Amino acid sequence: MRRNPSSYPLTWHLMDILEAVFSKIWPKGGGLWNPYLMLSPAILLIGLLVLGLGYIGDISLRTLDTSTFLFSEEWSLTNYERALTEPFIRSVIWRSILGATIVTMITLLLAFPYTYVMVRTRSAFLRKFLLIALFLPFFIGQVVRAYGWLIILGKQGIVNDILGLVGIEPLRMLFNYPSVLFGLVQYMFPFAVLMLAPALTAIPEEIEAASESLGASWVETMLHVVLPMAKPGLIGAGLVVLTLSLTDFAMPAILGGGTQDFVANAIYDQFFRTSDQGFGSSLAVILIVIGSLLVWVIFMLVGAGTLALGAKDK
Amino acid sequence: MNRIPAVSASNVWFQFGDVHAVKNVGFELEEGRFLTVLGPSGSGKTTLLRLIAGFQQPNQGEIFIKGQTVREVAPNKRSIGMVFQRLALFPHMTASENVAFPLKMRRFDARMISERVKKYLYLVRLEGLGGRRINELSGGQQQRVAIARALVFEPDLLLLDEPLAALDRKLREEMQLEFRRIQKELGVTTINVTHDQREALVVSDQIIVMNHGEIQQDATPLEIYRSPSNPFVANFVGVTNLFHGTLESLEGQQVVIRISQQMLIGTLKSENSTLAQGVLVKATVRAEQVRLFRRQSENRDCEVCFDGRVTDVIFEGERILYELSVAALSNTLIRVIHHDQRDFSTFEIGETVFVGWQSRDMYVFVVD
Repeated sequence: MRRNPSSYPLTWHLMDILEAVFSKIWPKGGGLWNPYLMLSPAILLIGLLVLGLGYIGDISLRTLDTSTFLFSEEWSLTNYERALTEPFIRSVIWRSILGATIVTMITLLLAFPYTYVMVRTRSAFLRKFLLIALFLPFFIGQVVRAYGWLIILGKQGIVNDILGLVGIEPLRMLFNYPSVLFGLVQYMFPFAVLMLAPALTAIPEEIEAASESLGASWVETMLHVVLPMAKPGLIGAGLVVLTLSLTDFAMPAILGGGTQDFVANAIYDQFFRTSDQGFGSSLAVILIVIGSLLVWVIFMLVGAGTLALGAKDK
Repeated sequence: MNRIPAVSASNVWFQFGDVHAVKNVGFELEEGRFLTVLGPSGSGKTTLLRLIAGFQQPNQGEIFIKGQTVREVAPNKRSIGMVFQRLALFPHMTASENVAFPLKMRRFDARMISERVKKYLYLVRLEGLGGRRINELSGGQQQRVAIARALVFEPDLLLLDEPLAALDRKLREEMQLEFRRIQKELGVTTINVTHDQREALVVSDQIIVMNHGEIQQDATPLEIYRSPSNPFVANFVGVTNLFHGTLESLEGQQVVIRISQQMLIGTLKSENSTLAQGVLVKATVRAEQVRLFRRQSENRDCEVCFDGRVTDVIFEGERILYELSVAALSNTLIRVIHHDQRDFSTFEIGETVFVGWQSRDMYVFVVD
């Protein structure tokens, strides 16, 4: 029995047309292969990435002859040896790891209450305000934002101007480690909130009411119920913030002013200043290994299942 | 003897925005009794429960537990165990850990906790399953964990917020009896909220019927069923036929009413202070009080008898429900329940039958 087709929404008609066209072009269809066909563009994209990685891996094993400016024919671990022994590079690597860890902890600490209030508040106005406050800086690129901090925190910046009014000597707030971390936390904050929001939304309010009716104070409810249930979101957000800040380039470059380089800055220098692609590539491989190791350690500690990927039957 | 009720409320009002969710509610519940608040969705029954639990504060009026007002008492300081609509079990804990939670929050010592948890898991018949995670338990088992968790700290009051609504019928009926057994065994004062009239009749010592935030009737299950105080209660509990008519005359509680040109005798259930002829009334007859006959001569004791036509026959297993159209009552549909197995499928759709009832089974209410 056919009903009047115009009563269906437009998108349904579009789907019908697409299906009709498709069955004309390829009547048999892909059958069981359909899902794989749909997966192929993504696989291709990842494949290109792997290809690039292969190239980087290859060049990282060749040393640059500084007299001829040619790369050696044979593979050797010289670049890696250099990276792990040279004090400057070692300090860059440690700075990156320590920085990423501190940034992750501070960001999660700040993002959790922010997200909780955003998800739980009954005031539509407050929720909108928190969302806009979150997204506005998100739309501005990282570099522009870093320059913004230069204007605000610089020697002749707004903060020092205000301090000058009350007779305080200009402070040096830029081009040091804390300013880089500060910039990174500010940059990572929206990512963390966006990762945490679905996790906190998934916790029914009834659960909190239940905990309260069973005798738990607000603090105990947070500690014993909300935090453990939000663990997948916290770990997901933590991983994103950790890997993004570990590999960040702009914040150390602009807010660190060349004195607070992270690994990405060192790689940039090797590729575009010293033109030692081999050494730069070895640094890139080391960065990938460190990042993967950190993720692996976190998974070992808390279990990959906590990300709730396909963990329905756990 | 003037005993202090375990729970009572007086003149309680609550509103969401400009909607009055609870209007002037007052009741008393004796220690150890099982009260069910029965009503359709949106009747304010869940709000009333949340007010008692302390998740919301009444705009007006007071709630008392053991004679003490609880206005200033936070939910976690009230001695109330609650089983939630969606159970609200903690998914990151095992069944035992869930049950131990309220004891830990009350700083019981470890030996006491393990003793109590064991005792209550046994009480709800989950011994041996304490180590399971919540999602490794069946729906009925999860219900039992929720009950154990709400009772393990031996609260003054147990609140049930429609926890059975999501279960299939068989399991629901099993759990209703289970609730009743546990409640009787422990003697804990209980307030249950439901829209399921059968559940209310089965489990309760006392029923409060609510509609539009107001209490319609507060009585025992038997009274609620036998003598509903208004047409809403009559209609909501049981299968009831409702007629609209006008008052002709009255003598004590016996009245004559006119329904589409027919004069019928009924029992007045409203106050008869100043009733004039022509007042609008509603009349109800329970579906199981209506009789069906093939021939008028079969009628022995029905004062009222009309001929009607069978319009629908619904077989429900232990009973059969007929729907009839009666021409004398302007084709009003009358529902009839038959329990007698021998009468099953005696009548068929389209058949002409005689339908009757006794005057004492017709209740008459004055429409305000």
